[in-house]
Amino acid sequence: MKPAGLASFWRRRFLSLLLLAGLCLALPAAGPPSAPATSGQDSYEALRLASEAFYEIGQKYVQPKDEGELMQGALRGMMNALDPDSSYLTPEEYREFQRGGRSAPAEAGLELIYKDHLLTAVSVLDHGPAARAGLKPGDLILKINGQLVRNLTTQEGMRRFQGPPGTVIRVQVVRNGLPKPLEVTLTLEPLPPPRLTLQMLKGDYAYLRIPYFQDDTPAALAGLLRDLRRQHPGLKGLIVDLRNNARGSLEQAVRTASLLVGNREVVSTRGRKGGESQVYRGREQDLVFKTLPPTVVLVDQGTARGAEIVSGALQDHGLATLLGDKTFGLCGITQAFPLKDGAAVIMTVAAAYTPKGRKITGHGLVPDVEGKKPAPGEPASAPPSLEQDPWVMQALDHLKRGAAMVKRS
Amino acid sequence: MPNLRREDVKNMLASYALRMLILLFALLGLAAGAALVAGEPLQPPARETLRLRLGGPASAPPPLADVHLQNFSQVLNLIEQHYVEPKSAKEIIHGAIQGAVSTLDPHSSFMTPEEFRELQIETKGKFSGIGIEITMKDRILTVVSPIEGTPAFRAGLRAGDQIVKIDGKPTRNLSLTEAVKMIRGPKGSKVTLTINRPGFPAPKDFTIVREIIPIRSVKARIVEGGLGYIRVANFQDQTDQDVRGYLTKMQQKAAPLKGLILDLRNDPGGLLEQAVQVADEFLSSGLIVYTQGRTPQQNMRFYARPGQPGEDRSLPMVVLINEGSASASEIVAGALKDQKRAVVAGAKSFGKGSVQTIIPLEDGSALRLTTALYYTPSGRTIQDKGIEPDILLKEPEPTDAKALQALREEAMERHMRGEGITDKPWNQPLTTADLEQDQVLKRAVEILKNWPPKIVAQQPAS
Repeated sequence: MKPAGLASFWRRRFLSLLLLAGLCLALPAAGPPSAPATSGQDSYEALRLASEAFYEIGQKYVQPKDEGELMQGALRGMMNALDPDSSYLTPEEYREFQRGGRSAPAEAGLELIYKDHLLTAVSVLDHGPAARAGLKPGDLILKINGQLVRNLTTQEGMRRFQGPPGTVIRVQVVRNGLPKPLEVTLTLEPLPPPRLTLQMLKGDYAYLRIPYFQDDTPAALAGLLRDLRRQHPGLKGLIVDLRNNARGSLEQAVRTASLLVGNREVVSTRGRKGGESQVYRGREQDLVFKTLPPTVVLVDQGTARGAEIVSGALQDHGLATLLGDKTFGLCGITQAFPLKDGAAVIMTVAAAYTPKGRKITGHGLVPDVEGKKPAPGEPASAPPSLEQDPWVMQALDHLKRGAAMVKRS
Repeated sequence: MPNLRREDVKNMLASYALRMLILLFALLGLAAGAALVAGEPLQPPARETLRLRLGGPASAPPPLADVHLQNFSQVLNLIEQHYVEPKSAKEIIHGAIQGAVSTLDPHSSFMTPEEFRELQIETKGKFSGIGIEITMKDRILTVVSPIEGTPAFRAGLRAGDQIVKIDGKPTRNLSLTEAVKMIRGPKGSKVTLTINRPGFPAPKDFTIVREIIPIRSVKARIVEGGLGYIRVANFQDQTDQDVRGYLTKMQQKAAPLKGLILDLRNDPGGLLEQAVQVADEFLSSGLIVYTQGRTPQQNMRFYARPGQPGEDRSLPMVVLINEGSASASEIVAGALKDQKRAVVAGAKSFGKGSVQTIIPLEDGSALRLTTALYYTPSGRTIQDKGIEPDILLKEPEPTDAKALQALREEAMERHMRGEGITDKPWNQPLTTADLEQDQVLKRAVEILKNWPPKIVAQQPAS
């Protein structure tokens, strides 16, 4: 097709589309009192802008460009403009999504998001292939198998690190403080159940690490916590480590929080239409401790999704002090919407709120106590033992000073 | 007359309707006010590879299926109805254009109206402000240097001054970009900086009227022994005039000039037109560069014309490049190398051989679209390959982040004391001691003093 043909094609197409979309977009504006920001005029202008841009690309780009690819890029870009949890799925990706969501045969053990045109590691699963290869939360993935990362979505970014066991992936990452990008090779492995570690510290304090959540995790935690209660009736305090934990669903979070808050509210979700908020509570029979010993929850920027829900519930019910860094703010409720050609978009339709109504999605949780920053130049890598972990020691100090019970009102 | 030729080129470009720019590919978008950012935060290196096929079989794209358009409007409606919070249509469409463009090569991009304005400032080589370079030093907003002849300079601001407040607003939690935004403003308006300086009993207010501040892309120094040094930071409006100006002045001061160093290290490029003009300063005839695009109007050939002070081939010349020299820098280095006008020294250049055209869109945003590839006179594409230096000169490489940080701080301190290579007036000669801070430049001076050099890396004729 000649460029000129393409141009008039776009003009023609978009004119009819304009009328169509103008109508559709105008409808909700007349509806609820919380009127959307978009007016018919706005969308008309926006669409005219899109048609102008596509026309210029079609005519002037250095080589002819496949229209389908361009449109897919546009749809990806639209969804990326919303938030990191919203994605466009090609028909093939959507079929796979429907088959089994994220349970890939093997993976790298990375929780990634695509934000501001960068693929960023939110968390690196403890002991997983990526962790062993030396990747760290906050790393930016620049290249995958030599290919520059561009125009991805969070879903697609995650998929690049899934596949048959034994698949070797080369990645180039950029990390703050490194003068040169880091080249790393990792091998995909089936994801084992999370290694929950419960460790006693001197003076009858317990440390519990939850690296990520799976469906069986709440039950496993229930067992661990009950044993702890039985074996250490004089337990003086508990440290729950939810740093670098960005994998966990709302349901897994509610069942986990249930062990500590009983039948109180864990989280609520509210969508666009407002009003109809969905409240999730724990169950009385799950409660492990009648009176929870003083508790500190360790959080950081790698704490996201389910782990944020658990942290927020404990914080709002005055059951725990959050210590560390601000959490990521990534626990929106998403929904998939199929499109006519078999593709789909996944979109955040509701935000999560703590029991006291603080919005987690997009905001994160602010810790009660800021974790001590490592001295400049000091390596931020994981310390070999708990005694050398500054935040664990800070949490222990906090518990020993008896300041763990935060009165919130 | 040089001005005439400048007009000629302008006319050529006018037929194009749009100006062609060769621009640095910055992964993180535009580094706002690059001239103002020293010791800037981490940026992923922008060394990317890209293979563009030129003039391959023109496979007609399949007719666009209705389903694509239906998808587009359907997704818009879904967002409008179901997304967790209202979003403006414009924001979503900007995302869509951004997404579409990112399926193209890495040098094509979409600019929001704000980014486009910033780009215009950079390429026009002027902005409205007070004329200071600022940085974050120990988390405090600090003046690196007031630019000579600007309102800030006349008001008495000094290197090392700490800016505590801007118009009464504390700067403690401001980012560098935000601070730049607040200090800039319309010509004729006022800004008040609250300055802390050793010796002040209390912070003092400086109220300064903003003016149009030219950003100079060219600096120069005489080097002891009758040599000249010209440093081009980027190619913007008037770069060629500044180059010619310094060259003329140096030739008058140190007659005859025994040699010239043109430093294009870490010069990310800029306007194609300016690359042609600067190369022309040193060439009397022959091809400088040619471009090939998809349409005939994007095929252009640029030739040198006689009549400039730098053309005399008896003036030995070294061009310095490194991996940070891209696009326009590579055109200049490539032309001077291919025409054997200069010896190119340093490290292999970046390798960006594509031309971007800026296409403004109606809401003030713009597309930066790759529209052509360019070739050196010998027909070589620079894409991926870069320009190989005739003489390899290595810069001492920092071993880790700490060493890099230390180097940057050292350079910054020197700059704040006004002791950097280009911090003093052009007619103050660079001494042997000065050259110690730049080992590559020192080697270049040695090459000129032992002219002609034995070329180490001979380029096979192609």
